Amino acid sequence: MRTKGKTGIWIFFLIVAFLQLFPLVWLVDFSFNTSADFYSDSILKWPSSPQWQNYVNAWVDGKFMKYFFNSLFVSAVTIVLTVVLSLTLAYAFTRMQWKLRPLFYSIILLGIMIPIHATLLPNFAIFKELGLTNSYLGLILPYTAVSVPLGTFMLTGFLKGIPKAMEESALMDGCSIYRIVFQIIAPLLMPALVTVIVTTFLNCWNEFIMASTFLSKDALKTLPFSVMNFAGQYSSDYGSQFAVMVLTSIPAIVIYALFNEQITKGVTAGAVKG
Amino acid sequence: MHRVFQNKTAIFLFVFPGMLLFALTFLAPIVLSGYYSFTETVGPGTKVTMVGWENYANLLFHDPKFWLALRNAVLLGIGFIVIQHPICIFFAVLLDRIGGKAEKVFRTIFFIPCVISVVVISKMWLSLLDPTFGLLNKVLDVLGLDMLKHAWLGESSTALGSMLFILIWAGFGWGLLFYYAGVKGIPEDLYEAASLDGASGLKLHLRITVPLLSPVIAVQVTLAMITALKQMETVFLTTNGGPGDSTQFLAVYLYNKAFSASQYGYANAISILFVIVCLIATYLSNRFIRSDATEY
Repeated sequence: MRTKGKTGIWIFFLIVAFLQLFPLVWLVDFSFNTSADFYSDSILKWPSSPQWQNYVNAWVDGKFMKYFFNSLFVSAVTIVLTVVLSLTLAYAFTRMQWKLRPLFYSIILLGIMIPIHATLLPNFAIFKELGLTNSYLGLILPYTAVSVPLGTFMLTGFLKGIPKAMEESALMDGCSIYRIVFQIIAPLLMPALVTVIVTTFLNCWNEFIMASTFLSKDALKTLPFSVMNFAGQYSSDYGSQFAVMVLTSIPAIVIYALFNEQITKGVTAGAVKG
Repeated sequence: MHRVFQNKTAIFLFVFPGMLLFALTFLAPIVLSGYYSFTETVGPGTKVTMVGWENYANLLFHDPKFWLALRNAVLLGIGFIVIQHPICIFFAVLLDRIGGKAEKVFRTIFFIPCVISVVVISKMWLSLLDPTFGLLNKVLDVLGLDMLKHAWLGESSTALGSMLFILIWAGFGWGLLFYYAGVKGIPEDLYEAASLDGASGLKLHLRITVPLLSPVIAVQVTLAMITALKQMETVFLTTNGGPGDSTQFLAVYLYNKAFSASQYGYANAISILFVIVCLIATYLSNRFIRSDATEY
């Protein structure tokens, strides 16, 4: 009875997974076809000759390498800043004793509720005044400001579940508070930190609206712009458009493939502990 | 309690950098937005005329688009809660039941759309729903259901529904993961006890799983409302609010007012009301649902 039920779930899941991922299969399939093939009646089409030229277009005219490194740089710096700031904030909110703690914690949590879109217009004005539009910093600062509240929230939940015994014995040994945070607590928080890192990565890597508002200089643009450039330049060349979509999705999928266990563990642990 | 935990220097060093950054790039802009919301100007750095509450009065009493955008957000939020969340809970329970290697494999597969960028998702669904070469219409053709064919994102009757569908497709993995985490936290012996009492199948889950998931559900429902209110990128990149404002959302509206219509002051007023609406929605949904989920 039980195994029979499981086979049923298996089959059901396979069908759902197939339907869910079919749009992606379709995307990859037609990225190898010519634009004329898009108007054929078939749902999927085995290309008569695979159009590698589409990927060459995507790579060269999508400026894949340039945008890729911009994305990588912006994401990397944002992740480092987010981890350090969220870790210290979360520690101060859970372990340190100070009067304004509840107030500051509520203020930080506002960052989860308030939409970033409400900061777009004024930040555009401020950044323009300060010369931060068209600079890496013009992306890194708002990305970090958006990521820190969520990171702090996740780490706080996790920290509450860690017993204080270890820190107390480290204090007995004369360990400073800074060493405690970075050398004792940080390793204990690893699963939660990985979750923070991966979610921050996905958010920055895929972020579009702030980048398109604050950047106009081609040399600084991030990966989503590859797709946007193409929509204009290759407006009728659907094959190349699809190729650039596939190409820009690969890095995030690879990262996900490497870290998917940690994402699940981080979310699971955080949720169970509440 | 050890003295070190009251060390003022340490507290300052831990809190100041993060709070400063947050205040400067998140809170200060909103204050500035408040200032602009009382003005009439075409953009930052140009002539500014103070107009008092005029922008707000126009928005609240003479701008049907603002209310339409709000209504769409509410409809979208209800769509998430009524359609997406039950599906997520159902899949989370099944995922927990299937166990072993399959559990891991399917968990990984179902999450894949969540790592794809919003730009790719939007452009891909524009193509999938394209009236001439789109996959959906082709499939309907093959199934002999041509009468159901639509220009899905191009007709005001189907646009908002299509948007909901795209967003559910893209967000399903996150919802599933959170509910799955919740299901994993329910002790096995509760199920055993309940099945000894004669409960089984759907009844078992309605009586055990759903009530025990209520803290998770409470948080998720709040998040669903906020996600619906904050909806911007997918709409912006597919329909840009159209056709005829049928997919208008606050964030899209304020963006277009500021950068296409050059009504920067007015756009900032929308922005401020947007913040207020989000805060009220969070507060209300917290109040309504979280009677017993105090730890959140």
